[in-house]
Amino acid sequence: MFEDIPVDVSPMYEGERIRAANMFVELAGPKSIGAELVQVKQDVKNGKVNVIGPNLSEMKEGEIYPFGIFIEIMGDKLEKELEGVIERRTHELCNYIKGFMHLNQRDQIWCRVSKEAKDAGFELEHLGKALSILFKEEFPIIEAISITLYTDKKEVEAFIEKTTQKYEERDARARELSDEDVDVFYGCVMCQSFAPTHTCIVTPDRTALCGAINWFDCRAAAKMDPDGPIFEIEKGKVLDEIKGEYANVNAVMADKSQGTVDRVYLHSVFGYPHTSCGCFEAVAFYIPELDGVGIVDRDFKGETPLGIPFSAMAGQCSGGKQVEGFAGLSLEYMRSPKFLQADNGYERIIWLPKAIKDSLIDFIPEDLADKIPTEEDANSIKEIRKFLREKNHPIIERLKETKKTIKEIDPVEDETSKDMETIPEIEVGEVPIAQVAYAPELTIPSTSGGVKIIFKNAKIYAEKLIIKRK
Amino acid sequence: MIIAVSGKGGTGKTLLSSLLIKALSEKNILAIDADPDSNLPEALGVEVIKTVGDVREELKIDTAKGNIPQDVNKWDILDYKIMESVVETPKFDLLVMGRPEGSGCYCAVNNMLRKIIETLSANYDYIVIDTEAGLEHLSRRTTQNVDIMLVVTDKSKRGILTAQRIGELSKELDINFKKMFLVVNRINPDNKDIIIKKVKETGIEIIGTIYEDEEVAEYDIEGSPLVNLSDNSNSVVTVKKIVSRILNSN
Repeated sequence: MFEDIPVDVSPMYEGERIRAANMFVELAGPKSIGAELVQVKQDVKNGKVNVIGPNLSEMKEGEIYPFGIFIEIMGDKLEKELEGVIERRTHELCNYIKGFMHLNQRDQIWCRVSKEAKDAGFELEHLGKALSILFKEEFPIIEAISITLYTDKKEVEAFIEKTTQKYEERDARARELSDEDVDVFYGCVMCQSFAPTHTCIVTPDRTALCGAINWFDCRAAAKMDPDGPIFEIEKGKVLDEIKGEYANVNAVMADKSQGTVDRVYLHSVFGYPHTSCGCFEAVAFYIPELDGVGIVDRDFKGETPLGIPFSAMAGQCSGGKQVEGFAGLSLEYMRSPKFLQADNGYERIIWLPKAIKDSLIDFIPEDLADKIPTEEDANSIKEIRKFLREKNHPIIERLKETKKTIKEIDPVEDETSKDMETIPEIEVGEVPIAQVAYAPELTIPSTSGGVKIIFKNAKIYAEKLIIKRK
Repeated sequence: MIIAVSGKGGTGKTLLSSLLIKALSEKNILAIDADPDSNLPEALGVEVIKTVGDVREELKIDTAKGNIPQDVNKWDILDYKIMESVVETPKFDLLVMGRPEGSGCYCAVNNMLRKIIETLSANYDYIVIDTEAGLEHLSRRTTQNVDIMLVVTDKSKRGILTAQRIGELSKELDINFKKMFLVVNRINPDNKDIIIKKVKETGIEIIGTIYEDEEVAEYDIEGSPLVNLSDNSNSVVTVKKIVSRILNSN
C-alpha cells in the first residue's frame, strides 16, 4: 500500500521524537507558524496532493519553515460535525510515518523531518500520499480526499487566518455540546488512593472536580491509556434529567465504592450529591437559614459565612464522602449551563468569593450579577440576609413562598409569628449567639445497640459555653 | 538504560551526573534534572527556558481561566509544551523538572506528565537522572523504573548514613533496581582506607571512588560548567571508568 513511500509507515512509530541533533528541518512549532484543518467539501479530487512552497529537497538543513496541512474530504455520510474528530487524528496518523514527527493540533502543530527520512528521499508529497491512504483506511466513510501542504510563508499566513475562523465556529459548537448529545460519560478513579469511595463522573456539562479534565480530555485519556484510571460509562437509562441521575452512573458508583455510595445526582447538592475527593477547586455548601447555597474556592483564605474556612469545610466533606448539602466542584462546572440546575443554578447562589465571581461574571445571569454578595459585601448570615433583601435577590421571594407554605400547613405558626417579613430562622436578639459547632454529619455513638442516630447538617448554638475542670 | 544518581545533598550528585553525561554524550542521551535545588543545567553549561514545573503551572492557570478550547485535549498541549521545555544540544538533551507543585490537585496533570515523559524517554538510549536529595524519590516511586541506581556519598557520617538508608528503603519498598552501586566522592589517599571501611557498612557495592580534585574545586568557585573539565582530569577519567563498568555489568 505504501510501496511508493521511501520510509516505513506503521503505528509502531507513534511516539517517535526527532531530536534536534537528528533533525533535517523543523516545520511550524514554537519558533514559526503553522496549522492544520479538515474540511468536508463537494467535488474533491481523490488522491490529489498539492505542495505550495518549497519542498523538502529545496529546504536547507537545520532551518525552520512555516507549515500548513489542509485536508479536504468528501463522502455521502460525512457531516460538518465530524471535521473536528477527523482532524484530531492527523497527529496520530502523521506519526505513523517513520522520520516524521507531529505534535499537538490546530494552529499549535510542531513537526520535524529526520535526516534519515530526507536521505531516503522523503518529500512532502509522500506525507500527503500516506495521509490520504491512512485517513481513508481509518474512516471508510471518506470517499475522496485531497491534501494541500503549504510551506510558503504568505500562503501559510493566509491559511492560518482561514483556520482561525473555522476553529471559532467549531468551539461554539463544542460549547453547546451537552449531556443529551452523547452516549458515553467517563469515570475517573485517579483520586481513589486517598478517597477510596470516590469516582468522578465527567460529562460534557460537568468537568472533574479538580478542574483539570473535561469530557474531551477523558475521551482522549481513555484511548491513550486504556488501562489507566479513566474509563467509559455507557450513559444508558436516564432516571432524572434535571437532577442528572443515570442508572449506569449509579451502578458504577456502587461498584467502585464497594457499595458505599449507590446513588448520585450530578447536578444538585441535595438528596444524593456527587461524592467529593479532596482536590476539588471549590465547595458548594447549603446555608439552611436562608435556604441558599454558598460557594467557596481553595484560594479563598478567609472564613466562609458558616464561620469556617475552605480547609475545614473541605475536611468535612472530602475523602469520597457523600454529604447532603455539600458538593465539591470545579470552577469550570460553574460555567456549565447545567450548573446545579436541579437547585435553580445561580438563582440559589447567595455568597461567593469576589475573585471567582469576577472570573465567572460572563456566566452569571446578568440580572443576578449584582445581587450575589461576596466577602466584600457580607460575611455572616445576618449580613447576607440584609444584602439579599436590599438587592432583592430571588431567594427572598423563595423564602416568602416557603413561609407561606409553612403557614398554610401549620396554622399555629400564625399566632407565634405576627411579622410577615420575618424569615423563619433563629432571630438574633440582644444577646449575640455564637455558633459553637457545625457538622454536616454527626453520628451519636449508641450504647444500647441496634440504633444509630445521625444528625445531618446539625448546628449547635449556645448562649454561653462553660468548660469546667472536673 | 536509565541511570539515576541519588544521595545526600552536597555529596556530589551533580558532579557525577554531569560527568556521566559527558562520558555518554556521543550516544543518544537525555539528562533529567529532578532536583528542584540542583544546578545540573549550570554544570552542563546550558540555559533552561522552561521547566516541567512551569508547564504544569501554565496549564493549571489556563485551565482555571477557561482559556483552553473545550475540544482541544490537554494531553496534546502538555506533549507540545514538554517538547518545548527540552533543551536540545548536539551532544545531549536535557529536561528540567523544576519547582514543586503549588496548592490544589495535581493528580490529573501529573498522571498525564508521567505518561508523556515516558513516551519521550523511550526515544533515548541512555537517560541520566539527577534525583532530588534524600529519599523522597524512593517513597514517591518516581525512580521506580530505573536500571542502575548510583548512590553518591562523601566522607561525612551523614552522607554515608543517607546512602545506607537509600539502600534499605529500596528493599523495604520493594523497588527493584537492576543494580545499585555506591560512588565515594571527595576522598584523598590518606583517608581512603578508613573511609572505604566505613562506607562498606552500607552494604552497597562500591563501583568507583573520586578523589578530591583541585580542578573541580576551581570550577566550582568560578561557577564554570563541569562538563568542560579537561578529558584527562582525575574526576573525568574516574567517571569514564565507572561508565564502562556499568556498561559491562549489564
